[in-house]
Amino acid sequence: MHNLIIAFGEVYQNKINPASLEILTPLWEISRALQKGLSLLILTDNFSKLDEDIDLKKALCDEILVVENRELAEFKDDLYSKVISSVITHLNPYGVFFPATLQGMALAPRVAGELGVGLCAHVNALELEDDKLIMIRPTYGDNIMAKLFSKSFPIMATLSLGAFSIREKGEKPIIKKFDLPEDFDWSSKIRVKKLKATKKEMNRLSVAKVVVAGGLGLKSRENFQKLFDLAEALGGEVGATRPVCHAGWVEEDRMIGVSGVSVKPKLYLGFGISGAIQHTVGMENSEFIIAINTDEGAPLIKMAHISLIGDAEKILDYLLKRLK
Amino acid sequence: MERIIVCIKGVPRPGTVKVDPETHTLKRESAELILNPPDRAALEMAMRLRERYGVEVVVMSMGPPNVAPLLKEAFALGADELILLSDRAFAGADTLATSRVLAQAIRGLTPFSLVIMGLKSVDGETAQVPPETAAILNLPSVINVIDISYSNNRFYLTRETNYGEEELEVEPPLIISMNPKLEYFRPPSLKRLLQARDLSFKSMTAQDLNLAEDLLGLKGSPTQVAGVFEKVFSQRGEVWKGEPEELADKLINLLREKGLLQKLALINR
Ligand SMILES: Cc1cc2nc3c(=O)[nH]c(=O)nc-3n(C[C@H](O)[C@H](O)[C@H](O)COP(=O)(O)OP(=O)(O)OC[C@H]3O[C@@H](n4cnc5c(N)ncnc54)[C@H](O)[C@@H]3O)c2cc1C
Repeated sequence: MHNLIIAFGEVYQNKINPASLEILTPLWEISRALQKGLSLLILTDNFSKLDEDIDLKKALCDEILVVENRELAEFKDDLYSKVISSVITHLNPYGVFFPATLQGMALAPRVAGELGVGLCAHVNALELEDDKLIMIRPTYGDNIMAKLFSKSFPIMATLSLGAFSIREKGEKPIIKKFDLPEDFDWSSKIRVKKLKATKKEMNRLSVAKVVVAGGLGLKSRENFQKLFDLAEALGGEVGATRPVCHAGWVEEDRMIGVSGVSVKPKLYLGFGISGAIQHTVGMENSEFIIAINTDEGAPLIKMAHISLIGDAEKILDYLLKRLK
Repeated sequence: MERIIVCIKGVPRPGTVKVDPETHTLKRESAELILNPPDRAALEMAMRLRERYGVEVVVMSMGPPNVAPLLKEAFALGADELILLSDRAFAGADTLATSRVLAQAIRGLTPFSLVIMGLKSVDGETAQVPPETAAILNLPSVINVIDISYSNNRFYLTRETNYGEEELEVEPPLIISMNPKLEYFRPPSLKRLLQARDLSFKSMTAQDLNLAEDLLGLKGSPTQVAGVFEKVFSQRGEVWKGEPEELADKLINLLREKGLLQKLALINR
């Protein structure tokens, strides 16, 4: 009872999503400390198709738990959650965790709702306090983090994207097929008609060596767009704060922070960013932080290695002029 | 098609947020509430379906009594019926305890074809309530929907996934959450705004919903706050002041020293 931890292994085009491998890193530590097994749960129509995926062979877990059925070829929210709930009911795990991908965000609350258990969102760090699992994320108030726990089992959470780095394991995890009961109902109310795959490349923000980020202090969409030139010059990626994404200056997949992705570049440049905790949890592990802000009292200035006090737009313009 | 239900939430107006210094939760009762921005897409989509298919739209919100003006906003957009779910026992609810209340209220509105919510609330950012409510009701859910149509008792949905746009056919009833981006949002009708002024509408408590109190609010929430702590950053860096041009030059020199301009240094030479 409660001697297993499960991580959801999201699969797309016969490859494991790196976000699922990221969450294995903290879960591995927790599972060792609590002497529990760690399983990566994969739902697929044909597991042999994942044979070529070398990343999966190095996954940091004890076993890969496979539920195989032809109905699982496509992601159907209702069926996938029913399968996971059934696995949980049979194995009675200590915890079940999902990456905060759109699929993870669609599934985790369904599973929690079906089982009537608690679910924490976008957790940034896991800790043990007297063998009790504590989940940490920002909360309201200046620079305030909350320690959350769950009164129910399994403990469930979605873990922030990019918050943990993938670690590999020397030996291959064991592969174990899990058979659901004979009478399991594989039907779904959802039929996938077609997927129009995005032509757009996924941005490499979470693994970028240089991140050039902008906030409301840049004042306009036009100014924000200039960050792309600077990013190109520095061989980096553009990141943003939430209000900037909401204002439509840039796509939401560039949001850094608890609700977006975490970054850990060698260099982070923040233009006109105040440094709210919801943002800084997503960039605090950057090696070198430079803040550009008119307000010397901005929280980001407190954590920056170097701060430039001045107008973000003007400084950005001069930088670009020099670099051209 | 049977009726459509929209669930909306009041969130503190940015800048007016008050935090309880002890519990670090939002003081919702005292805050000035605005409609959670992503819920506008849920309302707009419901109104489009109402026009296209002549279907009744019921808008509900769980929250303190000061969410009432937001329900009236929904009325001004065209909602046929409003329901306020309000009870002290609901306060402090996590997503599960919230979903239980919404699920029960939705159940009471059977038959319905579709429940629409916003993708997430800006004060919580969890995106959990729509799928969680669906699961409690044993209904299918689809998140991050960007388009909907309906024919022959089937909904045809497009959702944005991490891998691209996906087209789905779903058997009603179901719960969806709308992606906040729509190219058009209708303005409220002036006439209905005036009507809304002294409009009275249904308000339901835990008892009306026949919900046991131990499943509600803070008490009924399995996720709990063990404590909070402040992250302190010691002032560790240098602060540069001066003319923007000067600062930019200094920064370029620093980047060059750090080897971060290698690529460029070559080009510039
Ligand atoms: C549940 C929840 C989740 C959230 N998740 C995220 C998240 O994942 N990511 C995120 O980023 N935010 C998130 N937020 C929002 C976060 O709390 C802050 O509101 C946000 O990060 C602030 O963005 P900003 O720095 O761009 O804007 P502001 O806080 O408005 O800061 C603008 C800064 O620009 C400076 N400035 C103004 N004019 C100039 C100028 N001319 N030149 C230079 N500087 C100037 C100002 O001094 C100020 O410091 C979340 C909030 C909540 C409640």
